[in-house]
Amino acid sequence: MKNEDGTAWAAILLLVLMLLLPFLWILVGTTTEPYHVVSGDPLPEAVQAAGITVVSATDSTWPVAGAMGGKTYTLSDESGNLYTIRTQKFDSAESRDAAVIAYNAQSVGRGRTVGKLIVVGNYLVYVQPFTSAILKRIAPELQKLKAT
Amino acid sequence: MSDNATAPKKSGLTPPKVLGIFALAMINVAAVLSIRNFPSMAIYGWSCIGWYLIGTILFLIPLSLAGAELATMLKDKGGGVYAWCNEAFGTKGGFVAIFCEWSNNLVWFPTVLAFIASTLAYALSPALGSNSIYLFTVMMIAFWGTTAIAYFGEDVSAKFQNYGVILGSIIPSVLIIGLGIWWIASGAAIVLPPFSLGEIVPTIDLSTLPFFATIILLFAGMEMAGFHALETRNPESDFPKAMALSAVIIFFCTVFATLAIAFVIPADELNLAAGVMQAIEYFFTAMNIPQAIAPMAVLITIGGVVSLAAWLIGPAKGLGVVAEQGNLPPLFNRTNRYGSPVAVLLIQALIGSFISLLYVFLPSVNQAYWILSAMTVELLCIVYVLVFASLIKLRYSRPDAIRPFKIPGGTPGVWFIGGMGAFAVIFAFIVGLMPTGDFSSNEAVSYVAGVLLGTFLLAVPPLIFLKLKKPSWIETGTKEG
Repeated sequence: MKNEDGTAWAAILLLVLMLLLPFLWILVGTTTEPYHVVSGDPLPEAVQAAGITVVSATDSTWPVAGAMGGKTYTLSDESGNLYTIRTQKFDSAESRDAAVIAYNAQSVGRGRTVGKLIVVGNYLVYVQPFTSAILKRIAPELQKLKAT
Repeated sequence: MSDNATAPKKSGLTPPKVLGIFALAMINVAAVLSIRNFPSMAIYGWSCIGWYLIGTILFLIPLSLAGAELATMLKDKGGGVYAWCNEAFGTKGGFVAIFCEWSNNLVWFPTVLAFIASTLAYALSPALGSNSIYLFTVMMIAFWGTTAIAYFGEDVSAKFQNYGVILGSIIPSVLIIGLGIWWIASGAAIVLPPFSLGEIVPTIDLSTLPFFATIILLFAGMEMAGFHALETRNPESDFPKAMALSAVIIFFCTVFATLAIAFVIPADELNLAAGVMQAIEYFFTAMNIPQAIAPMAVLITIGGVVSLAAWLIGPAKGLGVVAEQGNLPPLFNRTNRYGSPVAVLLIQALIGSFISLLYVFLPSVNQAYWILSAMTVELLCIVYVLVFASLIKLRYSRPDAIRPFKIPGGTPGVWFIGGMGAFAVIFAFIVGLMPTGDFSSNEAVSYVAGVLLGTFLLAVPPLIFLKLKKPSWIETGTKEG
């Protein structure tokens, strides 16, 4: 009987470990986005480096706690396709991460959100939809800005 | 083998037959209908109709029909998808299906809990939304509160879901639709371009393929009523009607509420980064009833809790049946006097709480979110592939079984419906692995490997349990007095 109890407990322990392993690995192991103050809005620089034109930029402040303002950009690629991208500066790591958590909680059904947030220091850059072709072009440039 | 494996509860107590058509339908509506989908889909304008039709034709209708046939055929067997897949593929197939449905919840719980907390913050004080302590506290109250409701059995949780889904999902949807109609009737400008058939056709190309997985699983949860087969008064007649009723409610509320929002808010003004409530605020401000915004936030919060309850209770009941049949260690096989699988509920709550803790307090979980959400998609795809495969297989392995509801068209009909559903889900599984454009090449490889490995780890425990299984496990379950 004791042997069988041991097997049962081993099975339970195994289950808990197997269930938690992916979460620990993904949540702890994925790239962290340290909070640091970026000098100015990161998007214009990234867009310029990607060869995309800024058509217009208007000020906007997201109605979320800690948001300090940013811009809504209308961009145009070489073919004349227009894209809207939003940026927002945050006053702390906590408010920035809370905005990320709140946004990611708005998945469609059991899937994903329709847009994607990119974290650059104290800024969030929002691309909608996440399938937008512009994401592929500006993301590498934003990555470079993350490193600086 | 499978007959014994899915026999009614060995405790000898027959679960109370408390569920009728309406209650069953509301379980499905609670699991599927969500206000948070509407603003997100409204950005697609008229083409949201096309996206919804794709999800409806390829998934909602096939799953509803499959659920109706399997639930009525196996009406005496508890466990929902477990009973269905068990009947077709034996214990391994059934156990893997229910375990994937259960473990995908563990990935999804933190996001729906965060939605509940952040939406409620909008009604109380938006500043609370950036407070991690507030977020976690509300998440835990919602999670453990819903678990407590599940503890008190089918009667209590069914009532909670019936009232909750009406209050938190149907009333807000109908209100948004009504206001949209009023907007048109009052002669206000519709921000969408003039309607044409061409406008509803969505753009489908390589870049939009990852969104396809989202659309297919937009209506995931239609099988949820099947977990309550043993508590249903007249399963033969009630299941098909409940499936039809819930599918109609979900489809019409979803499509027309999304369009109502799309009529009023220009797509470039729909800043979803600021949250679903920003869209709701814009909508109600445009309607000149800003005082309705906070009550709407409360209602949407209730809708979130009800959705959580539907997903929390159903798969846990299924896993409880697995434990009753001795496929899990006896610790899991504890039911209380209300017939609730208390051990499974408790373990689920503990693991879910720990993951939520990590989710809220670890810094910058943005990229992690994408991997975890992809895992949710992949695990659900495994469940639905097995469900559609079971539908087809049982037509061959149990051709003479009484099917009070039968998908019309004979074998070709079932191949068409089951095949279409399975095709869509397999396709969703494949495109669900595609990373978004901001992943570098190296990150993309890690992403795909991470998603596959994570999915594997969350899907494989049933096979290990079956290897470790002891004959005594089936006899040592505990029923609380």
